[in-house]
Amino acid sequence: MPEIFIDNIRYEFEGKPKVLQFMLDQGLDHPFFCYHPSLSIPANCRQCYVEAGTPVMNRETNDWELDENGERVIRYFPKLMTSCSLEATDGMVIKTHRTSELVKRGHKDVLEFILMNHPLDCPICDQAGECPLQIQTYKYGPEGSRFEHKKVHKPKRIKLGPRVILDAERCINCTRCVRFTDEISKTHQLTIISRGDKNYPAVAPGTEFDDPYSLNTVDICPVGALTSADFRFKARVWEMNQTPSIDITNGKGCNTDVWVRNNLVLRITPRYNPDVNDHWMPDIGREDYRRMNENRISRPDLKLDGNKIKSSWSNAEMTFAETISNAKPEEFLVLGSAFSSLEDNFTLQKFFKSRGIENISFVTNIQKGSGDGFLMDDDQYPNTNGCRMLGFEELSPATFKKKVSGGKYKVIISLEDDLLGREVIDTTDLNSAFFVYFGSNNNKTSEAADLVIPISNSVETPSTYINVDGRCQRTVPAKETIYTNRKLNLEMSVGRLDRYGTKFDNWVSDRNRVDCIPGWEFLERVALLDNSNFGYETSEDIIHEIAHTNSNFSGVSYEAMDEQLGVQLKVTKETKEKTA
Amino acid sequence: MSQKYEFTKEELAEIEKIKAKYPDKKPPVMPVLWLAQNKFGHVEPEVQHLVAKTLDLPPAHVYGVVTFYTQYYGERKGKYVLDVCTTLTCQVCGGYEILHHLEEKLGIKAGETTEDGLFSIQSVECLGACGYAPMMQITNGVYCNHLTKEKVDKIIDDLRAGKLPEYENMPFYQHGDPEPSKS
Amino acid sequence: MNTDWKNFEPVLIPNIKDLYKIDVYEKNGGYEQLKKVFKDKKHTPESLVNEVKAANIRGRGGAGFNAGLKWSFMPKPDGGPRYIAANGDESEPGTFKDRVIFERNPHLFIEGSILAGFAMDITAVYVYIRGEYRDQINMMQKAIDDAYAKGYLGKNILKSGFDLEMYVHSGAGAYICGEESSLMESLEGKRGYPRVKPPFPAQKGLWGRPTTINNIETLANVPLVVKNGADWYTSIGAKTHPGPVLYGISGHVNRPGVYEYPTGMLITDLINDVCKGVRGGKKVKAVIPGGSSTPPLRGDSLDGVRMDADSLRTAGSMMGTAGMIVMDEDTDIVDVIWRISHFYHHESCGQCTPCRDGTGFLEKTLIKIKDGEGEMRDLDILLDLCTQMEGRTICALADAAAWPVRYAVERFREDFEKRVKKTVYAVA
Repeated sequence: MPEIFIDNIRYEFEGKPKVLQFMLDQGLDHPFFCYHPSLSIPANCRQCYVEAGTPVMNRETNDWELDENGERVIRYFPKLMTSCSLEATDGMVIKTHRTSELVKRGHKDVLEFILMNHPLDCPICDQAGECPLQIQTYKYGPEGSRFEHKKVHKPKRIKLGPRVILDAERCINCTRCVRFTDEISKTHQLTIISRGDKNYPAVAPGTEFDDPYSLNTVDICPVGALTSADFRFKARVWEMNQTPSIDITNGKGCNTDVWVRNNLVLRITPRYNPDVNDHWMPDIGREDYRRMNENRISRPDLKLDGNKIKSSWSNAEMTFAETISNAKPEEFLVLGSAFSSLEDNFTLQKFFKSRGIENISFVTNIQKGSGDGFLMDDDQYPNTNGCRMLGFEELSPATFKKKVSGGKYKVIISLEDDLLGREVIDTTDLNSAFFVYFGSNNNKTSEAADLVIPISNSVETPSTYINVDGRCQRTVPAKETIYTNRKLNLEMSVGRLDRYGTKFDNWVSDRNRVDCIPGWEFLERVALLDNSNFGYETSEDIIHEIAHTNSNFSGVSYEAMDEQLGVQLKVTKETKEKTA
Repeated sequence: MSQKYEFTKEELAEIEKIKAKYPDKKPPVMPVLWLAQNKFGHVEPEVQHLVAKTLDLPPAHVYGVVTFYTQYYGERKGKYVLDVCTTLTCQVCGGYEILHHLEEKLGIKAGETTEDGLFSIQSVECLGACGYAPMMQITNGVYCNHLTKEKVDKIIDDLRAGKLPEYENMPFYQHGDPEPSKS
Repeated sequence: MNTDWKNFEPVLIPNIKDLYKIDVYEKNGGYEQLKKVFKDKKHTPESLVNEVKAANIRGRGGAGFNAGLKWSFMPKPDGGPRYIAANGDESEPGTFKDRVIFERNPHLFIEGSILAGFAMDITAVYVYIRGEYRDQINMMQKAIDDAYAKGYLGKNILKSGFDLEMYVHSGAGAYICGEESSLMESLEGKRGYPRVKPPFPAQKGLWGRPTTINNIETLANVPLVVKNGADWYTSIGAKTHPGPVLYGISGHVNRPGVYEYPTGMLITDLINDVCKGVRGGKKVKAVIPGGSSTPPLRGDSLDGVRMDADSLRTAGSMMGTAGMIVMDEDTDIVDVIWRISHFYHHESCGQCTPCRDGTGFLEKTLIKIKDGEGEMRDLDILLDLCTQMEGRTICALADAAAWPVRYAVERFREDFEKRVKKTVYAVA
């Protein structure tokens, strides 16, 4: 196998990797700005210098030439090389800042130039704390500045589009954003304008940066030049904790990180998954943080004489138990939901199966033509495949409306799915049936329901979803409910503020915790009333059971999903046809 | 501002000819910008959009190109743009004196336009006429070589009268007699 | 060494009236070489490449690379399009020689391009001319139109079965587009950002296809080589850098202009004889031998220095484009270096950090010194900045910006020291 020597350590490599990417893959730290593994390589920041040499081949013996000590004769490139664009070749010798004073000097020199025109506004810059320039300046930068002249001034606070704001003075001209719109989102909305140290990214006059993926440019901007109009100035990065999650606004299931401070989700960013979303996610998925925080249902709601009143949990459990014992199996309409997790859907199925109700259905939310073939699918719900694989009856909105409006159902039970809000049915379709709704957010459907069970959402309880391509992925709880505790639940991430904050700190309070429990837990509690419960203590127990009872899900576990960035399931022929 | 920018049928035919020279749709952007600038006198954003639309290119691309090349007028300039070379040879041969003379004469600084919109002055980089320094170019067109203050005065007077200087054939001394070869 | 330069008969710009007209050009042996190659089969593409290689035409655009060798880097034809980009961007300050070819002998260049096209199985030649040369662009276009009309260009040239198109592409004001990969980007209708090499243009050039970029003057030399042979060509001028060359001499000389002489001319001959001496009989303070990016030489170090790559390298400079700028004893070197620095600051494309910001740092430091605000340490900073820029960027613009500063500070240090403050006051 071909070999490469980096700082005198031998590595083997396959294929034709670039030296920088190879070093990063080996866990070697090396500074860079413009390089991005998913974009073309412009080699323009010149930060990733290395010294590089190749062994000299003796044409006669067809072997490496050796010096008097028996060492290979190395011919070094006369200049410092940018490792991002340098292809590894057999026998190549690389010296980084660890072994070469010249490389160390090179890194420092470039940083001196970059910082020359870069404003010293880290204390008010959103990027601070997660800024490659800041980090690399600490690690590799010059001790002080010799630049005692006027900096170049450029436009600040430019609204490039509805979601992205530009501070051109902070821009180091790495062109990542321009390359993103050219190569990934392909809207070609950005360009670098002007020349030399006057240049900066811009949109054409009279146009705006309304690319549906525009916020990815904020993520990949290595400085604070591009910031999110929404998140700007909301929080310092180090005050938030970061938790892996899944975007549930779409069937694609982009992998995300949710960032929480004081138990509120403040932003959502994409998390790398080469099999699903690479480094990217659509802007619309990032707005979902509002749903996680706002307009939440807290404590069960009960309709009494047409008026909604708050109820206790035990009252809600009794009411639910009573309602289901008063009706015959054929009078039930039990709806799973492609919006809800596998855990809740499975428990619902199991709960009613044990009560003689085999048929669970769900209503699809597929907007034909709304997808873009990239990270936005026609399917608006994250778990359509999950419902299919559980064997739920798949109903189109129209079929469902016909089915429900006959009035033959006395009890309708639905997992979270805003059927009224998305105009599948209206209140008249419900007739006089008793309607039980499991939901996280207030909406038209919860308003119409007779009993509303507030359930934890995808960032409050581990939730598993099967995306449109059959990838089984799960979320990790990021937000506490009244009944969960970050410090006790070892799975939840604990940030600096969570750990050390006191109630005298600005961002620490007991507010923002919702009185809700996971949907499966409610069903477990109801079942406990007649001792028919399943013994689930955590949501992981449910996934364990699914994996071992339904062959569609064999191999699925939280551990596997966490380690392999999701588990790829076989999408059966049947489910594929239905998708088509 | 409400002027509508359009290409005529003849110009569109010309653009088709330009397109035929290249195997891709991006390259015509520079010649078509030239065509547009020669017609409209500038390539302000509306014109850039026209060029983008005509060539089916992203407007941002056209904007990036316009701002990269100094000869495209992304903003409206005077009728006569006096590009005075001040680089190297022109600098040591008095380019700045010519520039300052012009500034004084027209009452504007380099980079500005006279109030009547007739003249703009720019201090520009080497125009490739070093042997004929100091020199200037008028509106991306004719070169005026071996400038003196008197020559500049005459050029300005002529321009005010609407008369552009003629192309000067520069001598090739080696041939003995500098001989003109008009094209 | 050819000392008989005074009797040298120009061959690139021969003394023929109205030579730019195609009829006159033909009457004087023009397009004959084309006929010899296409009709008399004087050359196969391979032998033509070898002939040019043997002639050692060193690129006239500045780098001085053997043109035939460059041609031989082109891969074997695969049936797809292949291009020549003829570089007439001519924007290196001090350079104004290609325009003389456009004005006086455009058909020599066209003939050379066709021969080059035949040698490398080229589909189309794009003649990139700087946008400021509006008149020369028109002249060139007229010459190309005439050549098309006579069947020297287009389909089935001289019934040889060889097709070649030739187009003029006008630049629009960007020095960097004289750099070969930037020129290709510009031809492709983009911002003129130099490309990362490898891949080299011969592998992946215009539109990803094999491309050779040659200077206008380089291509104009080709018909002469084909006509008279490589031996004739190498007998002219300097041994390692042969041939006739267009010297563009400007600055404080009595008769500035473009002159055609063999390479290897003594700089002193060029100044004193060819250009009739320095204005006002003054002494030479400095000479920049080959365009602004080549290191300036002191006026008192010119003895015996010849205009060819080897001699100039020994003297501590470069041949560049042979665009020589002569400065007399009254010249303020600090001002000149500042202005050169301003030029590179203005023309940096802005891609690479060391160039984008380094050129600005250089200029701002030089302004400080020029304005009398400089300190001794600023001179060291200047030299340090040069080290930080040289060889650290995609193209050579950073080097071109750094060299004049480095060598001026080293060679004219007394001029700089005179301008900086003698005392450094402690900051209160």
